[in-house]
Amino acid sequence: MSAIHVDGLDVRFGETHAVRAASFVVAEGESFGIVGESGSGKSTVLRALAGLNPDWTGRMEVLGTAQGRQRPRSFYAAVQMVFQDPFGSLHPRQTVDRALAEPLAIHGLADAEARIERVLAEVQLGPGFRFRYPHQLSGGQRQRVAIARALILEPRILLLDEPTSALDVSIQAEVLNLLAELRLRLGLTFVLVSHNLAVVAHMCERIAVMNAGRIVEELTTASLRAGTPREAYTRQLLLASRGYDRAAAAQFRTFD
Amino acid sequence: MSAGAAPLLEVDNLHIRFHTRTGIVEAVRGLSFTLGREKLGVVGESGSGKSMTGRAILRLVPPPGEVRADRLAFKGQDLLTLDEVGMRAIRGRRISMVLQDPKFSLNPVMTVGDQIAEAYRLHHKVGRAAARARTIDMLAAVKIRDPKRVYDLYPHEVSGGMGQRVMIAMMLIPEPDIIIADEPTSALDVTVQMQVLAILDDLVTQRGMGLIFISHDLALVSSFCDRILVMYGGRVMETVEARALASATHPYTRGLLACLPQLDDPAATLPTLQRDPAWLGR
Amino acid sequence: MTASTLRAWLLSDAPRSRLQARAGQAYLRWISFKTNPLALVGLAIVVVLLLMAAFAPLIATHDPLAQSLDHRLRPPSATNWFGTDALGRDIFSRVVHGTRITLVVVLFVVVTVGPLGLLIGATAGYAGGWVDTVLMRVTDIFLAFPRLILALAFVAALKPGIENAVIAIALTAWPPYARVARAEAMVIRNADYIAAVRLQGASATRIVLLHVMPLCTPSLIVRTTLDMAGIILTAAGLGFLGLGAQPPLPEWGAMIATGREQIFDQWWVATAPGIAICVVALGFNLLGDGLRDVLDPKQSQ
Repeated sequence: MSAIHVDGLDVRFGETHAVRAASFVVAEGESFGIVGESGSGKSTVLRALAGLNPDWTGRMEVLGTAQGRQRPRSFYAAVQMVFQDPFGSLHPRQTVDRALAEPLAIHGLADAEARIERVLAEVQLGPGFRFRYPHQLSGGQRQRVAIARALILEPRILLLDEPTSALDVSIQAEVLNLLAELRLRLGLTFVLVSHNLAVVAHMCERIAVMNAGRIVEELTTASLRAGTPREAYTRQLLLASRGYDRAAAAQFRTFD
Repeated sequence: MSAGAAPLLEVDNLHIRFHTRTGIVEAVRGLSFTLGREKLGVVGESGSGKSMTGRAILRLVPPPGEVRADRLAFKGQDLLTLDEVGMRAIRGRRISMVLQDPKFSLNPVMTVGDQIAEAYRLHHKVGRAAARARTIDMLAAVKIRDPKRVYDLYPHEVSGGMGQRVMIAMMLIPEPDIIIADEPTSALDVTVQMQVLAILDDLVTQRGMGLIFISHDLALVSSFCDRILVMYGGRVMETVEARALASATHPYTRGLLACLPQLDDPAATLPTLQRDPAWLGR
Repeated sequence: MTASTLRAWLLSDAPRSRLQARAGQAYLRWISFKTNPLALVGLAIVVVLLLMAAFAPLIATHDPLAQSLDHRLRPPSATNWFGTDALGRDIFSRVVHGTRITLVVVLFVVVTVGPLGLLIGATAGYAGGWVDTVLMRVTDIFLAFPRLILALAFVAALKPGIENAVIAIALTAWPPYARVARAEAMVIRNADYIAAVRLQGASATRIVLLHVMPLCTPSLIVRTTLDMAGIILTAAGLGFLGLGAQPPLPEWGAMIATGREQIFDQWWVATAPGIAICVVALGFNLLGDGLRDVLDPKQSQ
């Protein structure tokens, strides 16, 4: 059984056709990356998967169950999301403890104390952080809290929307290591969205490249590293990710 | 820096302090460097003081910030003791600054063409028609197709990449000697980033300008700039030639390079930066 | 616990309980508030008002309702600090007892109007769609009522009195709070932390009550404090017109009304309650400004 099976996903925002006929499969325990530039539709795919955006057509199966516009509560216990901006993903007036207790209260889970302490230990935040407010935490610490919040319901699938794009490079390394370690230990399935090809290649086994709402190509990280992508767009993206090169930049063009 | 040429900018022992309610915050401690007709990259993480350095050169550090230095000179002229009138003559005309996000640095109620023309007329006494012609030339120089049409667009009608090119046009039109670019491409997609940098590269080289490129992206700076200044905690950790970055010696620089995920060099776990308090002089 | 250990506990970097965290934040806000001298003046005035209302019988020198027709319209003296009115009643005592009426008016209005407006506005802003439209049209209906005309209508339908005046004020005072709460809720609903809570399976009711409304509360507190001055003036105005408190209640507006004929010869009859209104209105304004500086979420950390 695949963890996620998306077929012909189409998302429109009024006039804009944000995602066009996207199809992909994610196996259980796999780390799947979606890479694209701004406006490619990658975050929209993730949000539609999460059930945050009800205006989609197509077919979506998560853990064997077809999903409709409304998601049952059991869905949220199995699928969680980590957002991009650590400054915006925590409620400014709630302590870490309160933010972590909320999902437990919604799902009526007991022994909140133990669960909160355990999940904070998993993201390597000491007990001294438990009653701080978001403005008393650094960007990396906030992101760890966001990860803890996503893990507290013990989901099987984690959707990651640019989880380290807003962090300093040294903090990014710590958070990426944490995510990789959690995935292995807890047997999670990841869908990671980023504009940073190096990050996606590091974290994922297979990658979908999106441009202007379409999935342009799906390839393994190995073939990406070998420099053998099939599509011209992917090759251009790969070239641009290697750093500034005056000669290469002259050949860039827009793909529509 | 080219041997024998006089430096465009000299900074010696720069200190920037903020007096806050909870004490003194030192954003920059004892920074020294020179800039010639070259591309100098200033790299650091958040809180390293790199943005403040750029602002201090143009005396744009907001109060309660306090700037002190042994020497801050532009082409030999002392900037520390210069009065505000003199400083205004330098800002935009001799030393320009390009900021990160064109959404926030372009005036939303003026057309982009008018803004560029205004920037030009601030420092050159020409009529409106001449300024308009000059602006259109400049828009073409930053590789904007159909500059006459773009002249009349408003900032919200242009894309990120185009907006940043408009910013560059605005900053280059008075023909300054130095450009300070503070994260000029961080808000852009990576392919657009390359194109914008190519434009900046060409213009800076053609006109023999000095460029201070402030960024958090060490990999980008190493491929774009000639020399790199690595900052941490308000201090310079190391100055290296961009070509020689791989053989940098300071542990902070090496640590920063090592913790980047590499496309060519897969690693299961990324090495993390171990911060040594000795780097801050403690 | 000594003062310094208490302070250390409040300012601790790693609080050990929700209570410690909340108390710490409140303490930081208090420190910030203290740096504003005008805000402290406002707070002092409001505290004096509260104390006067609480201990009115002890502070007043005479019975506010006791008439003494031999001592009508006496100027301020050692026995009658603010003089006497047309029925020989001591004005000082009436002003002091008037604080109770003022306080009741203000508290009743604020306690009903604030939460009601917040709930309606936050719900409309978060839900959007037809819920928003319906709630906002209802708000518009109440916004269209002129306050004094409504008070007149109430008085004509029921009997004149302070209760009906207060109801009239309350019914017309809540719409602006709803509008402001709605505007804030519309911004908040797009935030990632709300998306995160939706992703945990929270119902819309839970989100509005526990996550959206707490964020709208600081600006609500500021606005209600600032509006208290206006409410006092409106109640006084209604009292002046005879639509509010009825004699012999020592309501300040009514006192000014009865004193207006003698304003040139016996100025103290109208002036004392007038100054009281000014001072209290000013006090609430200063306090509200001070609170805004402290509670405004746009302040940098």
